[in-house]
Amino acid sequence: MKLLHDDAGSVALTTIALLPLFLVVLAGVLQLGALRVSAARVRAAADLAALVAVNDQDDAELARTGTLRLAADAADVARDFFARNLDLSPSLLASSATDVARAADVAAFATAPSVDPRTGARYDRPAVRIAASVPLRTPVLGALVFQPVTTVSVLAVSSPR
Amino acid sequence: MKGLRPLRPPRVAQLDDRGLATLETTLAIVVLVPILFSILEFGAALERWLGQDAVAVQAARYAGEVGGDRPEVRALIGDQLRLSGIDPARVSVSIVPPTVGWREPVQVSLVSDYPIAIPFLFSTTLPLRSSAISRGEVNR
Repeated sequence: MKLLHDDAGSVALTTIALLPLFLVVLAGVLQLGALRVSAARVRAAADLAALVAVNDQDDAELARTGTLRLAADAADVARDFFARNLDLSPSLLASSATDVARAADVAAFATAPSVDPRTGARYDRPAVRIAASVPLRTPVLGALVFQPVTTVSVLAVSSPR
Repeated sequence: MKGLRPLRPPRVAQLDDRGLATLETTLAIVVLVPILFSILEFGAALERWLGQDAVAVQAARYAGEVGGDRPEVRALIGDQLRLSGIDPARVSVSIVPPTVGWREPVQVSLVSDYPIAIPFLFSTTLPLRSSAISRGEVNR
């Protein structure tokens, strides 16, 4: 009976018993933090690509009529720079940057006003929109909850001013 | 069997638990403090990485706008890094190409080392790399 009531060493035992749980929590926290950085990078890549595409105006149209109009290759430029920026972080991606950019839904709305069929948003100026699902590597989540790849959806829209 | 005394447990060793709480607390601290510091240190590193990434994106945009590696781009990077709580002197900046033409890509890269110290475990530096690619808007 005395052994049952003897709690000497119980704190140490509890600490050791909970150590795996603490390590799992630590790993999960770090993985979620890394995922947040990855998602921010993907969003920044989409934003920058949309911006780059919009900044390139149709000079002839601007000179002739004074109105801002997207260049004819705006959608291609957006896709290209989306891929270039994603390619700066290849270790974060679960597939190649080129494949992600190729699968992205990139639309250029050269005239305004226009309505985005995907989002229903109305654009009062010419706009470039990028919508993409980007698979990111999450190895710790893979070990913990069998989700080694987490897909992040991004939507970026840019219009000239 | 007469004359033999039954074995008795060493009462002194069992009952004397002086210092045991201190020992257990020390063990718990040795385990828990590194975990706590790991969360704090890596969290701070990730936050700094986010800030540095944002500066790289802004700098790439501006480099495309002004035509490459110009003093104003360096000034913007320094200001934005300071606003993010990062010492610009500890960040190496690379803008390639130095002079960018119309529709040419320009890449801004920022690299810094973030020192991480986990008590009882290790101390190291974490390299934080941020890059962004924009496009030249200057028609020379």
